[in-house]
Amino acid sequence: MDALVILIPLLPLGAALMLGLGILFDWWSGEEKESLTSGIALWTVTMSALLALTLFGADLAGKNRGSFNLGTWLQSDTFEIPVNFVTQGIGPRVAALFGIMLAIVVRFSINYMHREAGFHRFFFVLTLFSAAIQWLVLSGNAVGTFAGWEVAGLCSYLLIAYAYDRPAAAVNATRVFVTNRIGDAAFIIGIGLSYAYAESIDWMKLNTLAAQLSPGEATGIAFCFAVAAFVKSAQLPFTPWLLRALEGPTPSSAAFYGSVMVHAGVFLVCLLEPLFEMSAFAMGMLAVVGLATAIYAYLLGLTQTDVKTSLIAATSVQTGLMFFECGLGLWQLASWHLCAHVVVRGYQLLAAPSLMHNVLGNPVKPVNSVLARSYRLYTVSLQRFWLDSAIDYLFVRPIGRLSHDLRYFDDYIIDRILGSPAPAMRAISSLAQYEEQKIGARLNNESDLFAQGSGLAGKLAEWISALIHAFEDRFMLRGYGKNATILGRRIGRSANRFEAYILRPRYLVLFIFITLLVAF
Amino acid sequence: MGILSILLWTPAVGALLLAITSGQHAASIRWIAHTFSLLTLAIACRLLFQFDANQSQLQFSEFFILNPDVGSAYSLGVDGVSMPMVFMAALLSFCALLISHTIKNGIKGYYFCLLLLEFGMLGVFLAQDWALFYVFWEVTLIPLFFLIGHWGGSRRHAASLNFVLYTMGGSIFMLISLLAISQYDLESGGSLMASLSQSTYSMSRTEQLLILLGLIIGFGVKMPIFPLHGWLPLAHVEAPSPVSILLSGILLKMGAYGLLRAIAMLPQAAQFFQPALVILALIAMIYGGLLAWRQTDLKAMVAYSSISHMGIVLLGIASLNETGMTGAVLQMTAHGFIAAAMFLLVGLLYERTHTRNIQDYSSLVQVTPRFALFTTLTLFAAMGLPGTVGFVAELHALAGGFQQWGGWMALFSLGILLSASYAIRTVGLLFTGPVKAKMQHVADLTGPEMLTAGILVGGIVILGVMPQPLIALSEATITHLYTLVSP
Repeated sequence: MDALVILIPLLPLGAALMLGLGILFDWWSGEEKESLTSGIALWTVTMSALLALTLFGADLAGKNRGSFNLGTWLQSDTFEIPVNFVTQGIGPRVAALFGIMLAIVVRFSINYMHREAGFHRFFFVLTLFSAAIQWLVLSGNAVGTFAGWEVAGLCSYLLIAYAYDRPAAAVNATRVFVTNRIGDAAFIIGIGLSYAYAESIDWMKLNTLAAQLSPGEATGIAFCFAVAAFVKSAQLPFTPWLLRALEGPTPSSAAFYGSVMVHAGVFLVCLLEPLFEMSAFAMGMLAVVGLATAIYAYLLGLTQTDVKTSLIAATSVQTGLMFFECGLGLWQLASWHLCAHVVVRGYQLLAAPSLMHNVLGNPVKPVNSVLARSYRLYTVSLQRFWLDSAIDYLFVRPIGRLSHDLRYFDDYIIDRILGSPAPAMRAISSLAQYEEQKIGARLNNESDLFAQGSGLAGKLAEWISALIHAFEDRFMLRGYGKNATILGRRIGRSANRFEAYILRPRYLVLFIFITLLVAF
Repeated sequence: MGILSILLWTPAVGALLLAITSGQHAASIRWIAHTFSLLTLAIACRLLFQFDANQSQLQFSEFFILNPDVGSAYSLGVDGVSMPMVFMAALLSFCALLISHTIKNGIKGYYFCLLLLEFGMLGVFLAQDWALFYVFWEVTLIPLFFLIGHWGGSRRHAASLNFVLYTMGGSIFMLISLLAISQYDLESGGSLMASLSQSTYSMSRTEQLLILLGLIIGFGVKMPIFPLHGWLPLAHVEAPSPVSILLSGILLKMGAYGLLRAIAMLPQAAQFFQPALVILALIAMIYGGLLAWRQTDLKAMVAYSSISHMGIVLLGIASLNETGMTGAVLQMTAHGFIAAAMFLLVGLLYERTHTRNIQDYSSLVQVTPRFALFTTLTLFAAMGLPGTVGFVAELHALAGGFQQWGGWMALFSLGILLSASYAIRTVGLLFTGPVKAKMQHVADLTGPEMLTAGILVGGIVILGVMPQPLIALSEATITHLYTLVSP
């Protein structure tokens, strides 16, 4: 049964490929093709979910060998990256659950997204995301998981910016993506450290080797993966990205931030249980950060007025609690909590659009009276603890100022030496400007204007290339190209003339006589 | 008859069949040519699957004596160096035929020449006997002369004549060298590549040097090595685009392939010429790059970039170490894909707009998104962006060169920088900028064109992400070559 595992991510990947090519080549567009697109997406994601269930069933029945190796992706000296998958333990369990949730979300989206302008694009990204998340969950090594991790992050970016013509969506998508890069960087450092300390990037080997690592080494690796997990699961201080991520269509919010992707961080920590057990510091960090996030998000959720934001705040509370449980060593509880929460929150987010029907005659319960009277807390919660502005103040603005200074350095020193890129010099942003330039005095030879550089290096390149061009033109092309032909023709003509003389009868007779004379 | 003979003669049979078909039936002519090139490609695929990459020796060898007096033999075989080239020759010929539908006049002769050219190219890479090699080397000239001279652009006559004269001039030096070596091999009888490398041990050093010099000139014209490249810009620009694909995709590699074989045969002389070759390689890289940067004609730009990229191959060969030679062989394949894709796309663009001046283009991404995707990927591969096959090849060549000469490889980086500058500029000028009314009605790629571009660009990306099979294909043979040339 192990070989089944490869089909679980590949089926949605194939669908994504088909849909992507279809969109690129304009095979699929418009309303009449909607059923085809949704059919492909639904069929593959459902099949993948069923396969994941089968794999999970086989694991329960003890039919799996534990891993499935497909070969080597990259090998250099002792460093080897295999393409392998796990077929036992938490991986298949979570894969089965995610598969079902994704299939439900896809089915839900077919009606929800009907007649949307980006219908086909939406299903392309959703199938790609399904493939990525299954790859993430099932991969047997850190690099494979990272590949899924990255592609899932990219899909999240693409769906937040689903309505990319709205500035708010574009800004939020970029902010989310940039925040996620912090976690990605930590993940990569984690991979590097695992290879350096444990000489393996295989999850299973890493876990078995964890006992031999020194506490310092284990803490280093665990810290990196924990930071990656914190970012992906939106723990403090990264929580604000989750609230910005709700720009996408509701089904995608349900899949990404309600049920599936936001749990990837918790999953990663659960997967590395033996490693975390080795490091008291990492465990403590999990507990503290998880608890802090839970309290933060709870207070935040109390003041939210729209259904999606409050649900997402509740998600943060629960993921925070999961990390807290992990930190306390209650791994079993955390993984059950994860599974249960995926289902509940997925349902709630999908049901959010019909909230009005559900709250009718069923009013929202008022907040606890002690909390309700605390006006300061109310302001703090309303301002989301000023976390976003604090990050802006501490990181975004100083970096902005730094880049401003560097820009100055670039403009006045580097560009003088190396030259500025051509578009900056001759950028034409409108047709009017283009016409203006055309009418203007640029009547000299165009080819000389073309290869232009600025700055010292640019000018140098310009002069040398002009020199080389003259050389090429004079010697290579005309020199022994054209001139050789002319010379050859001239030689040929004189040879012809010579031949014509030689063949005249008097010379022939003369030659014969000479030959006879020599012979005798 | 072994698989190599079948592979070799399939296009020749196709050409013969075309010769007896009536020139009036355009459809049947195209059908025959496509069928036979597809058949050749299928056989090449089969060969690829049967090929055992772990062996360094010749495989699927075929041998029988042609002329006992001279000792020439019909000897075929493939090893890890020729295998990728054989496959590329079959693949690119197929691609070139696929986009030949724009040729409207004299199609019988055109397809005949193209199949004959494929026959010659396959022969060069399969031949294991220098005499046979030379014959096939010259066979490729005849169809090319007509292809450029008859179906080319406005200066086609000058271009075809120039091309043939240059190559013939180089071939004379090559022939003299080959005759000189075979003098030493009369007792063992033959001009086999394998046995000749044995006989070179009995030669004096000066003789070896002169022989290798002759071979370097012969192969250097084709490759081209810096001062011998005069034919290339003209021929590449004037040839019809399917022929440009074959010219830069395969014909240039014939030179590099021959040079690699020659160096394996004459290791001592190779050590002597090593510094000169490296200097020429670095000059070619920068020279070609600067001139490519200066061209307003798109096809001329691609042609000069070919000189720059073949400089990388020469550098890899001249490094005379395993990494460098791997880089050279990889770059031969990589450049085969990249140059073919570039000429294909530029040719298709020219057909639609009838201008090759890059300054006439603007903001094409709005009207031709597919074209933009393929072109951008190809140009990125040309500048060696990670994730494309160009990166893998350039990295190997760079590492090989660095092992040998260290800091001098800064000049290599300069070459890469230049290629990045013209590639990015081309992307910018073609696809961005103000909307020009004239460029608003350019049609996007059609089905067959997309298939062809998809094969080539797909190859670039897939081999860039998973280079391992490609590296493994020639690994054993290169290790064997290295043991021959290492001092």
